[in-house]
Amino acid sequence: MASIAHDDPVVVIIGSGAGGGTMAYELTRNGVPCVVLEAGRFLTPDDYENDEWAAFGQMAWLDMRTTSGTWRVAKDFPNLPAWIVKAVGGSTTHWSGATPRIMAHEFKARTTYGAVDGANLLDWPITLDDLAPWYDKAEQAIGSTHRHGRPALPANNNYKVFANGAERVGYKYYATGPYGTNAEPYDGRPASIQDGFNFQGDKNTSKWSTAVREIPRALKTGKLDLRPECHAVRITHDSTGKVDGVEYLDAAGSLHKQAARVVCVAGNSIESPRLLLMSASSLHPDGLANSSGQVGRNYMRHMTGSAYARFDQPVRMYRGETMAGIIADEAKHDPNRGFAGGYYMETLSLGPAFLASFIEPGEWGRSFTEKMDAFLNTAGMWIVGEDMPQESNRITLDDEVKDAHGLPVPHVHFDDHPNDVAMREHGYAAADAIYGAVGSTGVHHTPPYPSTHNLGTCRMSEKPEDGVVDKWGKAHDVPNLFVSDGSVMTTGAAANPTLTIVALAMRQADHILQEMSTGQL
Amino acid sequence: MTDLQDAAIEPEDLQLDNTDPETSGSPEPLDDEQQARLLRVLKVAYPHPSFPDGPYQRTSAAVQQADADGVLADGLDALGDLDGLDDDAVTAALKAVEETPFFRLIHSTTVVALYDDHEVWQILGYEGSSFEKGGYLHRGFDDLDWLPDPRIEEYDGEPRLELVEKEA
Ligand SMILES: Cc1cc2nc3c(=O)[nH]c(=O)nc-3n(C[C@H](O)[C@H](O)[C@H](O)COP(=O)(O)OP(=O)(O)OC[C@H]3O[C@@H](n4cnc5c(N)ncnc54)[C@H](O)[C@@H]3O)c2cc1C
Repeated sequence: MASIAHDDPVVVIIGSGAGGGTMAYELTRNGVPCVVLEAGRFLTPDDYENDEWAAFGQMAWLDMRTTSGTWRVAKDFPNLPAWIVKAVGGSTTHWSGATPRIMAHEFKARTTYGAVDGANLLDWPITLDDLAPWYDKAEQAIGSTHRHGRPALPANNNYKVFANGAERVGYKYYATGPYGTNAEPYDGRPASIQDGFNFQGDKNTSKWSTAVREIPRALKTGKLDLRPECHAVRITHDSTGKVDGVEYLDAAGSLHKQAARVVCVAGNSIESPRLLLMSASSLHPDGLANSSGQVGRNYMRHMTGSAYARFDQPVRMYRGETMAGIIADEAKHDPNRGFAGGYYMETLSLGPAFLASFIEPGEWGRSFTEKMDAFLNTAGMWIVGEDMPQESNRITLDDEVKDAHGLPVPHVHFDDHPNDVAMREHGYAAADAIYGAVGSTGVHHTPPYPSTHNLGTCRMSEKPEDGVVDKWGKAHDVPNLFVSDGSVMTTGAAANPTLTIVALAMRQADHILQEMSTGQL
Repeated sequence: MTDLQDAAIEPEDLQLDNTDPETSGSPEPLDDEQQARLLRVLKVAYPHPSFPDGPYQRTSAAVQQADADGVLADGLDALGDLDGLDDDAVTAALKAVEETPFFRLIHSTTVVALYDDHEVWQILGYEGSSFEKGGYLHRGFDDLDWLPDPRIEEYDGEPRLELVEKEA
């Protein structure tokens, strides 16, 4: 590992997850020294716990947050709007591995869907063709199954129920992937032993994460100074408007400043806008890079829901890969369904510990315990689709509630859009049909969990007035400030976001390298 | 006993700002009558015919440990004597206090503690961690035999239609 002086202006990357971890590796392997500030601890696979609550306590982001809006999370989990990770590797330690690509028409959401009431839709400033070569590279890095000649994972029990149901209702586009976990040894990591616990880090390291691939490799280049338990609190700039440093608190709560030549913000879609808002200055009175007023707005979390189906016979859904099963037939824009955009269905399993908290939050009595008693005979799926960006769904700084350091906590406001609600109902009906076709005796419709996909709060736009960053993820207002995580997504699309976040970060790193070589950065 | 300890410290930490010094402080322990009433409440609110007393007793201990604000004793007292009441009547009494901090404490702690109990896992048919045993690869990850083996590859016919025209 490199040791970089605080007054040495280098590339400073904030966050080490899908976006930040990728950025760190792409830059350091090309010889560029980087400091990574990561708020969480440096956990390794030996530390990971194969126990749902223990792992949650170990790595989830539990810092105080507040919520409002009509979404049910605000009632059931008022201080846990998002289920994401605070550790080296970010939420890729928790992620399960579904890696579909965004479809061509989804990059042109405003053009394809037209004006949708209450939605702040915008076309991306890039197309699928622009991103396709980077998707190839990202799939190679992640090791997505079913791609580039890599084999499929075998069917586990939960998938058998899911896929048979899909076949019987006439769906065709189902498979055990693409999925970011090795079906055979690949890239120095072993094949899956079907041990479950993808969400808890994957001790076997068959699952890709930046904690097992990009960060260790970046450290080996000797160009990375990784600083875990260092929480960035402000980005500073010089009189010309260029960012020149990042202030951060270390584990002991002491304040430091790292000089910066370039800053890449990759703290996930709640913390990234929070940091920009906390970095307001006389030059940027409404927050850094916020002349558009869009920082923190258009917060998206994907339309989601889960379906848990009971059968007369055992399923044992928890055995094996958590999400190695995808049905893509409904991932299309079909205006005849009465809503814009589409959704995927993906296998999902929770153990009794998590299921009890999430299957129907707040419920008790026999209707609740019957669901738990049926655990052995239950199959599960997650429904994930495009949600509408709305200006009023946003991250702001809470005026009243402060964190342990006296800094304003982020406030997350979210209202479901009628399009999201219509799509969710459609998805639940599809789940009923799938499980009904293989003999389910009852399907429970579980509401959305705290958000695992957090997107859109620093969105990319062609015009500076419509968004925060340009097509490279560079701030419209600041020439050497980049956003490198899921908050740059102009719209959410139906696909799980991580493959896209990694592809965008690789493309951005390439752009930064070019600008550095021509002296523009 | 590590399960119990884990269960007891986690649930309220997930949702409360534990930086507030006022939330620490321990109320008086429950007396025998309150203990018995709490156990009854747990068994009625979370009825599982297959569960023995052990998991409920451990959950009761977790609830008491999580009672940082000291709402438990008063809440139990307010329910009054439950001995003469059948389960439906107790359910109705709990329904009436469902939105109180007292019942929320019970609920938020129980959904974590009761279902994180390893004896409960065994009864429900959950095996938990498998990594140390080589995963489920040779231990039944695909042993479901009441449905045929499905295709695992992607469909190799015509490509998926991603954009559908609006019908007239
Ligand atoms: C249970 C679960 C399952 C998932 N499954 C899938 C899936 O199957 N497919 C998929 O595509 N996606 C999945 N995801 C989503 C995926 O994990 C995220 O989309 C992705 O990791 C987001 O990348 P990111 O770079 O935006 O943020 P993250 O990966 O969350 O990284 C952000 C990092 O920044 C750090 N940080 C934040 N603020 C600061 C600060 N101020 N200073 C320093 N560090 C800071 C955080 O600690 C964190 O490590 C899943 C997520 C969860 C939680």
